[in-house]
Formats: sequence, structure tokens, C-alpha cells
Amino acid sequence: MASAVVPQLPVGGFSFENCKRNAFLASKKFPLPNAKKTGTTIVGITYKDGIILGADTRATEDTIVSDKNCSKIHYLAPNMYCCGAGTAADTEMTTKLISSQLELHRLNTGRVVPVCTNYSIAARDPEPMLEEGKVLVRDAIAAGILNDLGSGSNVDLCVITKDGAQHIRPLENIGIRGEKQGSYRYKKGTTAVLKANIIPLDVTDTLIKPVEAEPMDTSG
Amino acid sequence: MELTMQFKENILSDHKGPKQTYFSPYADNGGSIVAIAGEDYAVIASDTRLSAGFSIYTREQSKLYKLSQKSVLGCAGCWCDILTFTRLLEARMKMYENEHHKQMSTPAIAQLVTTMLYYKRFFPYYISNVLAGIDEEGRGCVYSYDPIGHCEKVQYRTGGSSSALLQPLLDNQIGLKNIQDATPVSIVKDRAIAIIKDVFISAAERDIYTGDGIVMHVITKDGITEEKFPLRTD
Amino acid sequence: MALVEVCGVTPNFLDKSIYEEKCVAEQLLELDKKFFSYHTKISLPPFSDPVEKLKTIAVDEHGRGIKIHYDKGTTTLAFKYQGGVVVAVDSRATGGQYVGSQTVKKIIEINDNLLGTMAGGAADCVYWERVLSERCRIYELRNRERISVAAASKLLSNILYNYKGMGLYMGPGLYYVDSEGNRFPGDRFSVGSGSTYAYGVIDRDFDYSMTDEEAY
Repeated sequence: MASAVVPQLPVGGFSFENCKRNAFLASKKFPLPNAKKTGTTIVGITYKDGIILGADTRATEDTIVSDKNCSKIHYLAPNMYCCGAGTAADTEMTTKLISSQLELHRLNTGRVVPVCTNYSIAARDPEPMLEEGKVLVRDAIAAGILNDLGSGSNVDLCVITKDGAQHIRPLENIGIRGEKQGSYRYKKGTTAVLKANIIPLDVTDTLIKPVEAEPMDTSG
Repeated sequence: MELTMQFKENILSDHKGPKQTYFSPYADNGGSIVAIAGEDYAVIASDTRLSAGFSIYTREQSKLYKLSQKSVLGCAGCWCDILTFTRLLEARMKMYENEHHKQMSTPAIAQLVTTMLYYKRFFPYYISNVLAGIDEEGRGCVYSYDPIGHCEKVQYRTGGSSSALLQPLLDNQIGLKNIQDATPVSIVKDRAIAIIKDVFISAAERDIYTGDGIVMHVITKDGITEEKFPLRTD
Repeated sequence: MALVEVCGVTPNFLDKSIYEEKCVAEQLLELDKKFFSYHTKISLPPFSDPVEKLKTIAVDEHGRGIKIHYDKGTTTLAFKYQGGVVVAVDSRATGGQYVGSQTVKKIIEINDNLLGTMAGGAADCVYWERVLSERCRIYELRNRERISVAAASKLLSNILYNYKGMGLYMGPGLYYVDSEGNRFPGDRFSVGSGSTYAYGVIDRDFDYSMTDEEAY
């Protein structure tokens, strides 16, 4: 039962109830915190036996790198992956939504869902072989990583053939961390203890109760 | 006929009336500066990336300016302002030299920088400055500035795009902040250099405007030595 | 147009509003000639309302906001008592939300028996109090006597009045002088972002006849 204290969960979709309030706050100079963006380099090509997708792994919040190794190639179905660029949360949720819809569709129809949209962005003629295609995608992503400040860190790759998909993560580290000169470990007792409060507990009785695994209710 | 009419309309629709364009004299070209003063030396370093928005202009632009044999200025921020400011500063220093027949000392340059920044109080230079050098007694000194010329003499300071990331690290490692029972020791030159390299490595990890390389100037009574180190380039 | 020639800048550099408010700008230029023909004068902005105008141009070509944070923010406090004058300040400077420094010296020695405290724009205070100390020294050399506190504060007040309305932001103590050119004498003053708290304490405990120890 829904009550005023614990309202019933909405059926689905988005809640817009805070939009007006947030707009008001923004007008009073309390802007919303920045959403995590994946200022991104992504690439997809077709090769002789299938598809190769590639992506970098940097996520940024304004000028700060918020994730050095995030995954931008999202699973949709065993024969489908999707690269996302834009707000990290949006790409993540959208691909999850599509993924579950595809799964439902597969269960309803009982067959592998065909990819209707054409993924090829840089289709070449003649189509390259696997190794050649991998190098091409790797070079394209590496160029993005090196020259675009919104892209960085590693190259991720996903090869999809009719036999299934292979998600290679990472394929190569492009941005490599420099070697530290000194050690920054702290001695024990570096942090000042302002207050200590010890609560003594007396064990008066010990009771061990085994819990039996219940079988799942499948009758309904 | 109809085609020409349409063509005309298209042209007219592009010019629907007066358009307002804004004058934008400022840009943020990124870059970071770190300086540490010791007993008889000063070290100052900058990264070598010059960028705007999400693109890199160059990977090898030092942001350090050798002002004399005893002082080096590090500038980060709006590149056009940096060029103008350092050019004027050089001219003013030359004037001083001709007038007084001696090179400007580091504290004198520090005051000159304040005055020159404040001169543009109502239309400020968008630069974060750090001046490092050795004073008349041969001691290392570092001066840091806000964009309109508030100057403070400090032992160590960061400036530029990742200053807020780096300053706490220096506060802890050199200022010995938040360390229980720390005994203050003077920082030897090699340790200062190692710390500067490490803070830049950390900055390049998280700040997209810092990277590609470090230029480091070590100032002692014998002169200035220059060193370069690579950083990550992504 | 005469203004443009005098300033030596191309018309493109100036925005439209300056033509419309040419009179204002020319008046400013007059002021410039009259009051600031002196080596401590500073560059006048190329637009009539610098505080507002700077906000509109503080955007780079990529549309990202350029934030110019000055060091500012303070609690300063000064009062007279029978033994003399006590001045106290904190030592933090903030730029935006970032604590720029914890070790700023906010008491400025104008000369051996004049102190100024700073609240507000740090650079504003340091610069003008440095100018003041120079003027005070000149006064001493010319008149062979020490400048009175009243006169010194009047000097500062006059300087600041010339720049009124351009966004100077300061308030040093005992003679209260603020960026609008206001000046009040008084027994006790507290200035800055923490001043309301400081006033609370001092109003409770203040007594003109207190001893040195109590004053601290």
C-alpha cells in the first residue's frame, strides 16, 4: 500500500519533480554539479568477418579527469555492442535499457535479433583483414587520445563476428603514468587522534543458529 | 524565376537584422607552475602544454621566463596576456638597469610585478604568476601573486590550472601540515627537485591542461641550470 | 572619437557602449588628468562600467567562463583604549572558494606609528596603503612633522574617492575608510566578512579603561 510517507514507486520513466526547483536554485546561483562527461573518441569499422569497435577510457568533469579507465563499449546483446559518447550516466542507462529490451525481444521471438542499423563508420573497400582492421582502429583511437584533451588513457577494442564478441580491455595503454621519485608512505601515528572513545563489550552468552536454505517459491 | 526568389529569400534569412558579437579578450590556455625556495637555492618548474578548450596548441612551450641571472618568473593563464606582460616587464627591468646601473634584485622585481599587475586593476591580466629567485643575501625566495597583484613571499607555491590540486600536496610534504609531531627540516635541493617531478606526474594524471613535459630551472648563486623531463601526452 | 585618439586604441577594440556614454568616459579622462597625473596612478578601464562589463567579457572563445579570483575575505578588528591602539587580524586569503593562503600579513605598516589593516581585495589594500605610506613620508619631509592619523586617513579617503564605483574593495581600520571614500572616526571598528562575529565579542567586553593585558 502506498502512503504519504512512503509513496509508491513510479511505473517507469523519469521523474521531473525536481526540475522546477533546480532551475530556481540555478537562478539563485546554486548551479547543479557538473555531470560526468566522456569527452570521447570512438570508432567502428567493418572488416571481412565482422565488426571492430574501439574507444578510449577517459571520463572528465570539466577540466578534471574523473575516471582514468572507464568502459565506453557497452554490451547490448551477444552479437551487438555499442560505443557511447556524451554524458556517462546517459550512455550507461540508455544501453542498459536497450539491452534489456533486446533480451525481451529475443525471448519473445525466439531468435537472434538482427542489427538493423549499419554500424560501419569508416567502411573501406576492399574490407581489411582482422589484424589490419585492429591496427586501423587502434591508430584512430590513439590519435584521439593523444590530441584531444577530452580523450585519454587506454584503447579498448571489441571484435564482433557471427560466432560472438570479444571485448579486449585494455588493448593498449597510451597514457602511461610517470615514475615516482620519492616515497609518500606515512609513518604510523601521522594523523592526530583528537578523541578516543572505547566501548567495552562483555560477552555474556553465545548462540549459534543454523539457517536452512529455503527453496524458491515457483508455484505462483 | 522562382529559383532566384528562393535564393534571395535564403540570403535574406541569413541577415535578419543586426547581430551582436561579443568582444572576448580572455582565454584560458592552461598550464601549471610549481616553485620551492631553499636555503641557498630556488627551484621553479612549469609544464610545457599550451592548450585551449579541448585541443592542444603545442606540446613544447615553457612558461618560465628568465628575468635575470638570479630570478625566474613562471606565468600560466591567458597566453596573450602572458606575452604582453613579460614583454613589458622586460622593458621595465631594462629601464631600471639603465637608470641604476645594476641588475634588479629578486625582491625588487617582486615589487615591480605587483605594481605592473595592479596597474591593470580594472581590466586585469588573466595570469597566475609565481616568481622564484635568490635575494641579495643568496637565500632562495618565492613570491606568488593573484591576478591583480597581491603579492606574498612564501617558501613554496603552485600556480595555474592545477594549483588547487598541487598546493595541498606541497603543504603536506614541505609545509608538514597535518603531520603529528613533525620536526621542521630544511629541504635539500635534490628532494625539492624530486617532489616537483612527482607533483607534476600527479597533476598530469588528473588535470587535462597539464602534461607533455616539465621544464625546471634551478637557481643558485652560480647561475641558472635548466632541465627537462617528459610527462604523459594524452 | 577624440577619446579614441587620446587613448590610442583602434575603434574595434572599444565596444559600442563607450560611444554612447562618451560623456561619462570623457569625464573620467578629465578626472584622470586632474587627479592622477602622478606615478602611482593606474590604468583606467577602456569601458565605462568595469564591474558589469568585465562580467560580460569574462568568457573565452569556447564559451567557457573565465573566473578571475582575487584574494579577499577577512576579519579585522581595531580599538582604542587608554594604553593606545590595538589592531588584530586573521591571516587567511581566499580566491573564490579556494583558500589561497593561510599566512597573509594583513596589518600593513604605513610608518612607525601608523598601521592599516586590510579587508576585501588584498591587492587593493596593499597597493593603496603603500601609496599612502609614500604620501605620508613626503608629508613628513615637507612639513618636518609626523602626519596625524586623521590626516593620513583623509589622504587615503581622497585617493579612493577618485576610483569610486570601479569595484575597488577595501576597508582599513580605526579611521574607517572604505572604497566609496567614506571615512568615520571612532573608538572601535571591525571590518570584513567575519566582522559581525567580532563586533559581538568586542561590544560585550569593551571598556576604554582596560589594561594592556585585557586588551589582548
